[in-house]
Amino acid sequence: MTAFFSGVGVILSLELRQRVRTVSWYILLGVFVGLIFIVTVLLSFALNGFGSPNDGGGGVYSTIIYFVLLLGTLVAPALSGNAINGDRDAGTLATTQVTLITTGQLIMGKFLSAWITALAFLGAAVPFLIYAAVVGQLRVSTIVVSIIVLAVELGVVAAVGVGLSGLMTRPLFSIVVTYLVVAALSVGTLIAFTLGGLALQTTAKSVSSYGTEYNADGIPTQCSTPEEYEYQTPRFDLFWGALVANPYVILADAVPTAYDANDQPTDLFGYLKLSVRSAQLPQDQGFSYNGCVVGEKDSYPDTPSARSIIESTTPGWAVGLATHLVLAGGLLAGAWARTKTPAAKLSRGSRIA
Amino acid sequence: MLNPMTSVETAHIAPVPNGVPHSGIAVEHVGRSFGEVHAVRDASLIAEPGTVTGLIGPNGSGKTTLLLMLASLVKPDVGSIRISGHDPVTETAAVRARLGWMPDVLGSWSSLSVRDTLIYTARMYAMDKTAAAARAAELIRLVDLPELADSPTRVLSRGQKQRLSLARALVHEPDVLLLDEPASGLDPVARAGLRILLRRLASEGKTVLVSSHVLSELDEMADGAVYISTGVTASAEALARSRASARPWRIRSSDVVALRAALVADGIDEEAIATDRTELLVALESEAAASALLARLVAAGVPISTFAPAVGDLEHTFIDLSAEDSK
Repeated sequence: MTAFFSGVGVILSLELRQRVRTVSWYILLGVFVGLIFIVTVLLSFALNGFGSPNDGGGGVYSTIIYFVLLLGTLVAPALSGNAINGDRDAGTLATTQVTLITTGQLIMGKFLSAWITALAFLGAAVPFLIYAAVVGQLRVSTIVVSIIVLAVELGVVAAVGVGLSGLMTRPLFSIVVTYLVVAALSVGTLIAFTLGGLALQTTAKSVSSYGTEYNADGIPTQCSTPEEYEYQTPRFDLFWGALVANPYVILADAVPTAYDANDQPTDLFGYLKLSVRSAQLPQDQGFSYNGCVVGEKDSYPDTPSARSIIESTTPGWAVGLATHLVLAGGLLAGAWARTKTPAAKLSRGSRIA
Repeated sequence: MLNPMTSVETAHIAPVPNGVPHSGIAVEHVGRSFGEVHAVRDASLIAEPGTVTGLIGPNGSGKTTLLLMLASLVKPDVGSIRISGHDPVTETAAVRARLGWMPDVLGSWSSLSVRDTLIYTARMYAMDKTAAAARAAELIRLVDLPELADSPTRVLSRGQKQRLSLARALVHEPDVLLLDEPASGLDPVARAGLRILLRRLASEGKTVLVSSHVLSELDEMADGAVYISTGVTASAEALARSRASARPWRIRSSDVVALRAALVADGIDEEAIATDRTELLVALESEAAASALLARLVAAGVPISTFAPAVGDLEHTFIDLSAEDSK
């Protein structure tokens, strides 16, 4: 095992020196920090205009961490998407493969290097996150969990990039496809959720009755004939799996929610989590409106509190994260199979004689 | 004098007894196709430790594919390969520990220095940092790149990259060396240096297999040669036929008229004498026939300044086999 990891270490160190210690990388990091700085300053001013400083901090914090996720997932494919096929193009892959470095060590080293490189961007953003957290008086658990989820998500993108670079021959294609995967997860999941839910509509039945005569206490003494009618309702509850595969949703869902006295969430992540969890609730049950019962005061059906919805539904972040880890692991395994030597199959377009 | 058939003849006359590991390279009836393209159809060869063997063939004949199979990068469809007695498919790590491969593609980690490139390569062979640094310093002297040792490899010229690539193949002191076109891009001095280095490695007991189509160069350094054409290595019979076939000799004299007359008098058909500037070319069956002709010409008082084969041994065989192929 030690031998395996020392081989991984050699590849990791080589990759970091090759790809990271270049002027353009530092420029990219500088631009990244500059953007986050600008966004933080502008948001601080913008949100200070609304009420309490608490909400301001929470808002800034949520937005900054989303911004870090956005930029991180935009940078990571460029850093990882040509890890293997780029080396093949440069003629340095085969000279590594004839050494005692195994394919597993090679891919693990390249993946770790891409991940660490992406984490450097997260690291550069941490001071801004801490600033927002302090100003917003956020709980430590919120900060820690969101940084961990961010780090894992950047790892997923790095793994997708390295995996695709092993599966595809041309570096340009694998980088573009990595971006498409990121786009599919960030935007495609929302589209799939919305369109899927709208396309699969089911008929729900609604019953409504109301009091026609009331006594002095306001209690109905006579009710109207219950009216039934049917209507189409979208089935978002069947597609919440697509929604939780969204990295932004995973992030919001994973952060532990703080509730106020009315059991309502206190920050933006909490509200997002509530709406995502509500999507899990079955929507095909009909509802009764103002179910009028003779002799009983009009009762309105209780709407469940935010806390009870969140606590009674499946933790979507775990499902989403599991989906991502399976995707990342599958692509890395595919790259391993494709890069293994002695090769039984050569990728299309390789020079043969 | 070079005998181009040695190693191939050994392969066919004295095949490796089953079960006894061969310490050099042993290839038996290996084939590999890529889809519809049969890159290597039937290749057999033996390269003995302590020798330099040339792998000769026209462009696209399967040399590189054969070397890729030997280097444990490509799996053969059929046949068996042994590198120092180990099978590259089933005992990959054992083969890689004993094998140095210099590819025909000159890739290098462009932002790393020459020294770091060699250190990293050494560490990929599980050497520790100190040993890797010592070995890198040794190799930099060996391939004569000391003044560029700390420059990034992207500034190297083609010939310098070639030398770096050779140094990389030697990092772990392999028993078997596979060199794909090692001399292309080298200047004459570096070429001579390469020849001396390869001879020295062979004299240390290593097995060296060199692919090239610069035949004059192989002539100077190889103990034997294997010919490959359209993915098939030449058989012993084809080589024997080629050796027996007549080859042109180049004769120069200050008196061309007298030389021509003497040759005709010696019974050579005038039509068969070719003229190349001030020299005459005559096809002769063997070395013995050449010696006898030279003796007779000198005895006849013809002033001879050059009397030599018009083409090298390898080139003669190569051209002869290629002609046989196209028939």
